[in-house]
Amino acid sequence: MVTHSRPRGTRLLVVALVSLSLVIITLDYREGDTGPLAEAGRWTQTTMAPLQRSVSTVTRPVGDFFSGLAHLPSLQRENTDLRGQVANLQAQIAGLADVEERARTLADLLGLQQQLFPTGVSATVIANGVSNFEWSVTIDKGSDAGIAEGQPVVAGSAATPRLVGIVSQVTPISATIELLIDQNFAVAGRLSSNLGTGLVQGQGEQDPRMDGISQDAQIDLSGERPVQVFTVSYEINGQHGRYPPGILIGEVSSVIQSTNALEKAVTVRPAVDFSSLEYVLVLGTDASQEGGGG
Amino acid sequence: MIRRVVSIAVVVITALLLQSTVFFRLQLLGVRPELLYLVTISFALLEGPNEGATVGFAGGLAQDFLMNQPKGLTALTLTLLGYGVGMFRQFIVSPSPLVPTIVVGLGTAAGVAFYEIVSVLLGNFHEEAAYGVKVALLTAAYNAVLTPILYPLLRRITEGSRPRRVVRF
Repeated sequence: MVTHSRPRGTRLLVVALVSLSLVIITLDYREGDTGPLAEAGRWTQTTMAPLQRSVSTVTRPVGDFFSGLAHLPSLQRENTDLRGQVANLQAQIAGLADVEERARTLADLLGLQQQLFPTGVSATVIANGVSNFEWSVTIDKGSDAGIAEGQPVVAGSAATPRLVGIVSQVTPISATIELLIDQNFAVAGRLSSNLGTGLVQGQGEQDPRMDGISQDAQIDLSGERPVQVFTVSYEINGQHGRYPPGILIGEVSSVIQSTNALEKAVTVRPAVDFSSLEYVLVLGTDASQEGGGG
Repeated sequence: MIRRVVSIAVVVITALLLQSTVFFRLQLLGVRPELLYLVTISFALLEGPNEGATVGFAGGLAQDFLMNQPKGLTALTLTLLGYGVGMFRQFIVSPSPLVPTIVVGLGTAAGVAFYEIVSVLLGNFHEEAAYGVKVALLTAAYNAVLTPILYPLLRRITEGSRPRRVVRF
């Protein structure tokens, strides 16, 4: 009798925990982002954010060091290429007499473009998604800094803002950003040189895919200038899209011949290197009516 | 008992913190380790199915709350994994120090594969099958590599937090 009690107790415990898990999965599906489970998620994120910020600050140099070791061969190759490019550029600059004047003009333009997103909130990336099946980052600013769900997030300079993703979850002191490579991410895109528009969707590990491009669009990837993809503004029933127009999403990396005879698709290499993302700018919702770069 | 709960909580939180910060930069061919799988399997090996299932459920739920995925899925996976490994340990007779490494590797591969299959059934997994296989195998390899470093540490923590035996004269 005694020998059977422990396995029976264990089985009961496991059945109870499995049942509880199934109840949680069902409740989460039914309630979405509004129920107590979502609230518990926000509470957990709020609790973890200061710890993640501290650990990230302390361990970032160590992580960068080992990450650098892992990427040493490619870094050496990149270094050689960049040295060549720098030499070429220096030769070009030396031959230009009006470089100072142009630099001043560009600086003025840069300052002007910085005015385009006056309501943006700058933030630091303090953590990444905990799973191999989710592509997100956590930043150190939240609703206390005016950040709300659904706001677009960019990186890069004011001259060429690059799309990072969208705010998917907010706590008072932190926010989670769904990256544009996440499987649930989608944004309307426009190909450079007026080649057409389409819907860019994240593909996880692979480059995002842009569908809905007209079959007539002549996309030439062998040319000197890469074919770039920018966000595009649209308005449906008086509602503006979430993303300001002209933010660089990435470059077309390949053309996919769709089975649909009316349209073609392309893959888009993101303009942002998500593995080394440190600083981002969260745009206000009113930015969707303003213009970006590109 | 309280010391036990606090020890497990500290281990789970540390694993989550490391996974979302340090190990994002230390990826193996684009894949991170799953530290909570390693922790669950280690506890199940050291303490049995009760502890394995409980730590798996608590750790899995904590990870679920930090993800934008269906909540409860990781908890379900790790509960079954902890119970399964805990039950399996009675068949392990070899004293080889390689046993935990092998069990962690195999258990992680099985757990990640189970998670992917349930995600597919729930319509929440849109990656190609090849990516799923790659993640399961590389995560298993990564966890196995980390086991010789982390398993002794976890053993010390579990032994240190066990309730002291009371001897009456």
